[in-house]
Amino acid sequence: MPPEESPSPQNQHCFQRRGFSYDRAIKYFFASNAGLTIVILLLIIVFLLKEGLGFFPGYRRELEIYRIAGLEFVDISRRNLTAHEQLSSVLNRAYFAEINGQCARELKRTREASAVFNSFSDQTSATRDLIVNNQNSGLDPNSEMLAALRKNHAIQKEKALTSLPATPHLTAAEREQLLASIRTRDATATDDPPLVTTLAQQYAAAQQQCAKPLAELRTVIDSFEAAGADLSTLVTEMTDAVTSTKEALQNADLLEQNRKSLLAAAANAKDPTERRKLLADAHASLAEKPDIEGPMRALMRRQPDCSATHTALRHACADILARLPPSLSQSDANRLLRAANKATPLLLDSLGQAPQQITQWRHDKPVPLSDAIRSFLTGKDWVTGGAWQDFYGILPLLIGSLMISFVALCLAIPAGVGAAIYINQFASPTEQSVVKPVIEFIAAIPSVVLGFIGILIFGTVLRDLSQLDALAWVPGFPIEERLNMFTAGCLLALMSIPTIFSLAEDALNNVPSAYAEASDALGASRIQTSFRVIIPAAFSGILAAVLLGLGRVIGETMVVLLVAGNRIKIPDFSAGLGSFFQPSHTLTGIIAQELGEVPLGSVHYRALFVVGILLFGIVLGINVTAHKFVSRTPN
Amino acid sequence: MLNPQSLIRKGLPKGHFKDRLVRVLLGATTYFIVLIAALLFAKIIKDGAPVLFTSQAPYVDLGFLLDKNQTLHVFDDAQGVRHQLPASAYNDYLKQHEGAPIYNPQTFSYSGGGIVGPIVGTALLTIGSMILALFFGVCAAIYLSEYAKQNPFIHAVRLAILNLAGIPSIVFGLFGFAVFVLAVPVITSTPSDRSLLTLPLFIGDYMLSFQGWNSSLMAGCATLACMILPVIITASEESLRAVPQGFRDASLAMGATRWQTIRKCVLPFSLPGILTSSLLAITRVAGETAPIMFTAAVAAKDDLPWESLAHPFDLLSSQVQALPYHIYTLAARIPASEYTRRAQYGSVFVFLILVMALSLGSMVLRAKLRAKLKW
Repeated sequence: MPPEESPSPQNQHCFQRRGFSYDRAIKYFFASNAGLTIVILLLIIVFLLKEGLGFFPGYRRELEIYRIAGLEFVDISRRNLTAHEQLSSVLNRAYFAEINGQCARELKRTREASAVFNSFSDQTSATRDLIVNNQNSGLDPNSEMLAALRKNHAIQKEKALTSLPATPHLTAAEREQLLASIRTRDATATDDPPLVTTLAQQYAAAQQQCAKPLAELRTVIDSFEAAGADLSTLVTEMTDAVTSTKEALQNADLLEQNRKSLLAAAANAKDPTERRKLLADAHASLAEKPDIEGPMRALMRRQPDCSATHTALRHACADILARLPPSLSQSDANRLLRAANKATPLLLDSLGQAPQQITQWRHDKPVPLSDAIRSFLTGKDWVTGGAWQDFYGILPLLIGSLMISFVALCLAIPAGVGAAIYINQFASPTEQSVVKPVIEFIAAIPSVVLGFIGILIFGTVLRDLSQLDALAWVPGFPIEERLNMFTAGCLLALMSIPTIFSLAEDALNNVPSAYAEASDALGASRIQTSFRVIIPAAFSGILAAVLLGLGRVIGETMVVLLVAGNRIKIPDFSAGLGSFFQPSHTLTGIIAQELGEVPLGSVHYRALFVVGILLFGIVLGINVTAHKFVSRTPN
Repeated sequence: MLNPQSLIRKGLPKGHFKDRLVRVLLGATTYFIVLIAALLFAKIIKDGAPVLFTSQAPYVDLGFLLDKNQTLHVFDDAQGVRHQLPASAYNDYLKQHEGAPIYNPQTFSYSGGGIVGPIVGTALLTIGSMILALFFGVCAAIYLSEYAKQNPFIHAVRLAILNLAGIPSIVFGLFGFAVFVLAVPVITSTPSDRSLLTLPLFIGDYMLSFQGWNSSLMAGCATLACMILPVIITASEESLRAVPQGFRDASLAMGATRWQTIRKCVLPFSLPGILTSSLLAITRVAGETAPIMFTAAVAAKDDLPWESLAHPFDLLSSQVQALPYHIYTLAARIPASEYTRRAQYGSVFVFLILVMALSLGSMVLRAKLRAKLKW
């Protein structure tokens, strides 16, 4: 800037001489506001790390206590015991699936009849209770009031009779009989209608009939269950011993922490008498070292016993499981049997390795920090607030989040991108002006409202649909839980459609019109122009739209918290595609559900912040990739 | 001899049916989305409208909008008449009919009375956060569109805006909890134990203690403002850039300073656009639940926010009910039954109407603005 442009320094305000000016101050004011965004982003990162990073040392200490107290030793046996129990429950389920499958008709009939009766009882119970209660409290049986109550009951009964569930597996005559017995039922009667009882008896008879050829399977399952008894006793005995050691260690830790804070308070105290008092308190709470060696020696004395039990159980299991039939007649039962067959070698393997693990286990092996990190990132359990041991393994949450996002994207990509192509390439202006606002409206629906719809309406509709016989071929149908990953995925799809739609439409719009004109000039049809020229040109933009939709889906909280079912467990993948119909928990849901209940500064609290950091990282990664794709779009 | 007629293709062009098929498929997808949206709105309106509207004048159930939220008591008296009374009316009934037996009593939390508390709480949260976000957001946008040149600072700001816009709302909840609830400074004479740092102020006993604002209206507003800031900045910058460069050039040529130019020639023309797009931001702020779950919202509160306050400023440091959190409580924490339907569907209906009205308003205003502002 040439010097003569500004007036000589002597004429200026004293601030201006120092390089300040009114205009420049305004500029800095605005600049500082723009800088606020950077500050907020930094604050988010700093505070997430501040609260989160303390997690790993704390978790390491918990794992150390887990080892020193011998809980880890017991868990070797306990894991095998759980695997054994799971296998026997699968076998039991297979057995009952076989029986119920063979007498499916009787099962459905008795279920339908009871459903009709239960629905009737639910609807009339209030008026019925009034009559019974009033009679019990000594009201004259012929009084006017009781007559009024009876009349109310009769009205309610008529109303209930018109709104009973359908019974596709009962004949018309049977339904008529059932309704008649309900209609003539006395208010004080307590027994079931005759048809319900008969059908239940028929079902029981059919079950017995079917169970006869399966008697051998039953004995195999029973002896398998009985084989685990020894191990179960052993685990129970050891559990009591190690939990008391663990408590002693935790108490010592707490006292030590308390002492440190007292000492710190004493160092800050101004009043000398107060300081002396605090110091005295601190010395008083000096924890004596809890006795670890004694209980540990007692535990170690059980080592040979433990190994022997495992070996015995392994032999017993191998013998018993070899007697399982090769296949069953019902497809459901067969699937479960296959799952059991798949799990058998794993159980035998684990039982076989157990003696070696037991003899090699050392309670004084150090627990490095990397163990805590590994246990967090690859742990299969997220167990908190339990009496045994808390584990913070991220896998069940991560898998839940990913599976829900997968369902959502599978539905939202075809719908969102398809709608964008249609609106941009084929729709008339009137259609555009109708559809675009509607989709913008969907974007404005708050997520908690969508969750509400899922929990009260969509979940029930989906479950009723899944119970239709015509849809029984769909894997996973009929669904067990109303709230599951699929339900959540559907609602999240609806939520991400507007994002994907509008961004993909923008990308299509941004393709220069010369592309389309050139293609037309070469004689391409409308479809050819769209699919061979415009969509490939806008492809990176569409990909970015999909990625941003994914970012939105993974980060969404309220829908999954309300609808995903909140069961912290890795889904059972043996169900194939049906595993999408199981409930699960998610990264976002766990934070929303548990942050309000944990004590400040505890390991659990910090674990939730680490989950937050992970979520932040995932979404940031997705967004950065998406914006890379956006910048590649031709203009 | 070549017959020119044979060169003209007869009948439908090749691939015509494929064309039609693709078109119909895509159209069906589009209208399927529209249908789902329509079904959804229809269901909520069908179940929710009877709660809010009545057949007699004044046609709106003002009780639902203006009463406080209470526990609902359902019971039968000895005559078999079924009563559904909110807690206060229930207590009156008990006083009037002392000694009369009550049968089949049931209670449903949060299901009686009206929803004035959540409505007011959401309004306060929205107003507070929008004031903060509009102030900082518009100032930042003025810098970005009027002053900024290409430099590393601007690059960093744009990157920060881009990243902030993508952060999940629950992470903002964590951030608000860690910063505004637990760590921001307050001036107090009795610092709490968990204060991160206390600095003496040398005015009486007062200290600057970094102990946070607790779960309060202030903390919730600040968290929501941080969340919505990138949206406001982007929208405002767009409106500012829509003002033609000629306006600025003319003003500067007349000798006005940059600030005078902005104040007189840029802001007045872009303000309608800024306000319109901020209406859309309001729908987002009003609808969010995750950021306020730990920073401001409370499930049950007997008083309205401004009642029973020792000092007017205590309003800012008190917890509030909020409509989205109320809906979450109604959907997740209480078992559904025919007696909770009124509260559930009514709240969702009112909430959806509010949000949709804001959203519709923003759309209409934007369309009007586009038609009006043609430079």
